[in-house]
Amino acid sequence: MRGATAIIKKELRSYFCSPIAYVVLGVFLFVMGAIFAKFVDLYQRYNVAHQFGQAQGITIDKLATYLYQNMAFILCFVTPFLTMRLFSEEKRQNTLELLFTAPMKEIEIVLGKFFSAYFLMLIMLAVSFIYVFFMVLWGNPQLKIIGATYFGLALALACYVSLGALISAMTSSQAIAAVWTFIALLFLWLLQSLGQGITAAWGPIQWGPTLVYISPLGHFSSFTEGLIHIKDVVYFISFTLFTIFLTHRVVESNRWR
Amino acid sequence: MIEVKALTKKYGDRLAVDNISFTVNRGEILGFLGQNGAGKSTTMKILTCFMPATSGTASVAGFDVFESPYEVKKRIGYLPETPPIYLELLVSEYLDFVANLRKIPSSQKRKKIDAVVERCQLGDVRNRLIGNLSKGYRQRVGLAQALIHDPEVLILDEPTVGLDPKQVSEARGLIKSLRSERTVIYSTHILSEVAATCDRIIIIDQGKIVAQEAINLMGATGGTTKTEIVVQRSSDELTQALRSLKGVRNVQCLSNGRDRIVLETEASEEIMAEIARIAVAKNAGLIRMSPVHLALEDYYLNLISGKREVSI
Repeated sequence: MRGATAIIKKELRSYFCSPIAYVVLGVFLFVMGAIFAKFVDLYQRYNVAHQFGQAQGITIDKLATYLYQNMAFILCFVTPFLTMRLFSEEKRQNTLELLFTAPMKEIEIVLGKFFSAYFLMLIMLAVSFIYVFFMVLWGNPQLKIIGATYFGLALALACYVSLGALISAMTSSQAIAAVWTFIALLFLWLLQSLGQGITAAWGPIQWGPTLVYISPLGHFSSFTEGLIHIKDVVYFISFTLFTIFLTHRVVESNRWR
Repeated sequence: MIEVKALTKKYGDRLAVDNISFTVNRGEILGFLGQNGAGKSTTMKILTCFMPATSGTASVAGFDVFESPYEVKKRIGYLPETPPIYLELLVSEYLDFVANLRKIPSSQKRKKIDAVVERCQLGDVRNRLIGNLSKGYRQRVGLAQALIHDPEVLILDEPTVGLDPKQVSEARGLIKSLRSERTVIYSTHILSEVAATCDRIIIIDQGKIVAQEAINLMGATGGTTKTEIVVQRSSDELTQALRSLKGVRNVQCLSNGRDRIVLETEASEEIMAEIARIAVAKNAGLIRMSPVHLALEDYYLNLISGKREVSI
């Protein structure tokens, strides 16, 4: 696995040598900051209302759910910018030959690429702990719920990144990779609403619930409520593993196509 | 060291490499000559395990490229047509990355990187971004990448394309300095380059090997050599005498200013001596006598245009 670690090291260096990591991180934090400001505003208003005996049942945990669901959605926009270059850039610069003629297995290349982007995303997640810090400072959130949410986010990111890597392996243009990754993630996300709209069953399969199950949104929601279901964990992990497997196949096919 | 048997590669319906076989001995520098699109790069890509062949076998240092690619890859240094470099890295970072890919133990890494930097004269640019380097330096970085793990076999795909004349001669010097330590396969479409560096050449055209010879035999087709003599006074008597000489196959008189006679003879020194003796005995006033080296260029062009007869 030394080849994989060499690739991770090199990729992280490339991210931070170019403006891409800083720009993406900056935009992410800016948008999240705006949402958090809204969150604080809502929290205050509910608090004031609560003191006057009106509006009830709005807790900081409810609001945190709102915050993190937004975050998971925003990460859909962020992921393509970090995964787009993974393989497409290698193809464009003709450097795949270097990787393929080095004494290592293709899977090392794929895992190295996947983990480099994934680590960067985890760094972004780590930076967002600042919101937890403010919540604890001025409120009393249940840290267990927040812990479960971060666990869910980490799993969801793994599946976003793997999908981005797969699409990047299919093209030699970064822009095309980014656009398709975004479309794919958005589509997966929207499957939830689509599935809920379908009530009829065609043939033996209940299409509505199936589509809902395929969408990561529902699986992620339970984490934000502090519930860690095995089925959700299995969903994210199997999604990621399957996509990595496909990526491996696609990367391998680059040699004989 | 390298053995290729009946190798064939098809891209869809297009035959890129057509049933080629050759061997390269240890320590030999083999020039791989052909036009663009003749199948040079494809053959090299198969040898480096980058791409599988459609049929046939190839082995490097006794390991089959299809069955044990890992062992083959360990022993090969490869410089593709476009150097596989990352423009956003420093030269030192890049070499460190390649050393890691090549699984060089960390205790030796520093030493190997220093050695290859020295060998490819990259000392001045070690801490510069590859993206800011000139084409010549980028090519050298690519070569450094191929040499870093001391490979037994070096495969270079057009290593001197796009370099200026000084850099070309430096690159040739570098490749020559590898002679005997390493086996080198080296592709190019520039003939003078082959003549300057290689021990042996293989000419490939439309996926087929059309000639495969040691460089000093090039031009001596079928044991015939050509000799040109220049005399002051040519006469029929002289040409008759030359024609009747045993071993002389053809005599041609060309007159432009001075009298030139071109003789096609068997390749032997005795005939040369005899020709000189006759020219002197006939009192023709021999000025010059020189073997006609068939230029590699002519040879090559004739070969790939499908004619094997060669004229001056």
